Amino acid sequence: MIKLTNISKEFKEGIQAKKIKAIDDLVLEVQKGEVFGFLGPNGAGKSTTIKILVNLIRPDKGKALIMDRDVNDTAVRKHVGYLPENPYFYDYLTAEELLWFGGKTTGLSATAIKNRADELFQKVNLENARKRQLRTYSKGMLQRAGLALSLIHDPDVAILDEPMSGLDPLGRKMVGDVILELKARGKTIFFSSHILTDVERFCDRVGIIVAGRLRLVDRLDNLLVGNTKLEDVFLREVEKAGGGIEI
Amino acid sequence: MNTLWPVALITFKEGIRNRALYGITLLALLFFIANFLISGMFMQEVGKVAIDIALSAVSLSGLLLVLFVGINLMAKDLDKKTIYMVLSRPISRSQYILGKFLGMALLIITTMVFLSVCAALSIQLIKMVYPNYFPRFSWPMILLALSFNTLSMILLSALAFFFASFTSTSFITLVLTVIVYIIGQSLSDVKALVDAPQTVGIHVSAATVKLVQLAYYLFPNLSVFNLKIQAAHSLFLPASYILWTVTYGLIYTALAITGAAIIFRLREFP
Repeated sequence: MIKLTNISKEFKEGIQAKKIKAIDDLVLEVQKGEVFGFLGPNGAGKSTTIKILVNLIRPDKGKALIMDRDVNDTAVRKHVGYLPENPYFYDYLTAEELLWFGGKTTGLSATAIKNRADELFQKVNLENARKRQLRTYSKGMLQRAGLALSLIHDPDVAILDEPMSGLDPLGRKMVGDVILELKARGKTIFFSSHILTDVERFCDRVGIIVAGRLRLVDRLDNLLVGNTKLEDVFLREVEKAGGGIEI
Repeated sequence: MNTLWPVALITFKEGIRNRALYGITLLALLFFIANFLISGMFMQEVGKVAIDIALSAVSLSGLLLVLFVGINLMAKDLDKKTIYMVLSRPISRSQYILGKFLGMALLIITTMVFLSVCAALSIQLIKMVYPNYFPRFSWPMILLALSFNTLSMILLSALAFFFASFTSTSFITLVLTVIVYIIGQSLSDVKALVDAPQTVGIHVSAATVKLVQLAYYLFPNLSVFNLKIQAAHSLFLPASYILWTVTYGLIYTALAITGAAIIFRLREFP
């Protein structure tokens, strides 16, 4: 469903345009119906990888495919729902208009948008705030609105960058429930998170990226044998890579 | 069109609800009220002063609209990363630019129509109070001046989009747009000066002449859209001038937006 082949990406930084390797030869495949947790310390390359998947950034080398189509292909995004980290939307639009925009751009009819929006606003608990302008929303409410937007067109692939960020425990539970429901419906979910307990709850497989290199990809049940926690595995991989520990 | 319209509509809604727009509109309305008082102070040429003030108020409001609302409509997408949300939909970058620009053009036209009606009302009121001071008066010329002003603002916003397509902050876009506006307004006068320096008794070097000529063809000549004098004096304007100016405005706008789309297609959003 998602296939990254030998992806490399460098950024230029500063006046001297010093090259910084953000991703180095990343190879990764996520199967249909799988929940994949993408972990790594800050600045490891998680968001860069995700932005390559939604074509916000182009790789220097390698290929990124979703549903066997190059992510460059605009049409592929009809099947993809993306929640950016710390989403920011138009201040003067209401959440309802935001979802209308999301639905219209993916070709939904007005009725389909309304029905789906009703369902999603209930799910993310924004029913009472749907007609309010987004500038009046708190960080957590924006996160919820972003999640609803990413799912308005019932995508086959959900790419969620730190979906729990800025949410209270109730919000985190809500996101968890949404992920589990998507999983039950056979959707593919690729998400990054720093909250390892959540990753343990939802994921089939995890990948750990440190300093742009994918250090480990494995099934959770293979990793969490005995009393081993995901945190132990994560810290071990980061230390092995000599990347320091910054969770 | 499936994706252009939603982008245009949210851009328009975002712009029309922006509080800065209310401030700009209020300023224009104050000018129209002041027009009534100021014109009355001139016991000659009341009509010309009234028309000039009304059209200037619309021009100034249009400029503020482009600089403080229009630029933000696109540049804020980049500053605040709202663009992630838009480009992750099945929308190409060219469609994004075009949709945004259509929304902006719609916003300019809506605001300008509203302000033009207010300007016309203010002129009509003054005309009713001082009927003897409007010996040569032409509504079509005033309408043409207002339409040309709208077209020049659409062109300026296209240039703002062009700058926003490669700059990293809205401030740089603002500065570049203001510079181009100033150059565009004074280009004709400067060219006339370097073409015939002997009329004012100065010497202009060959290099300066070349530079001004280059600038003349590179920058938009915004002064051709300024019909305030013609409207205030009800001067005749040949149809060829109108046709040429509209064509010039549309072609320049199309080129700026095409350039913005081409640059934007190459851009990344880390």
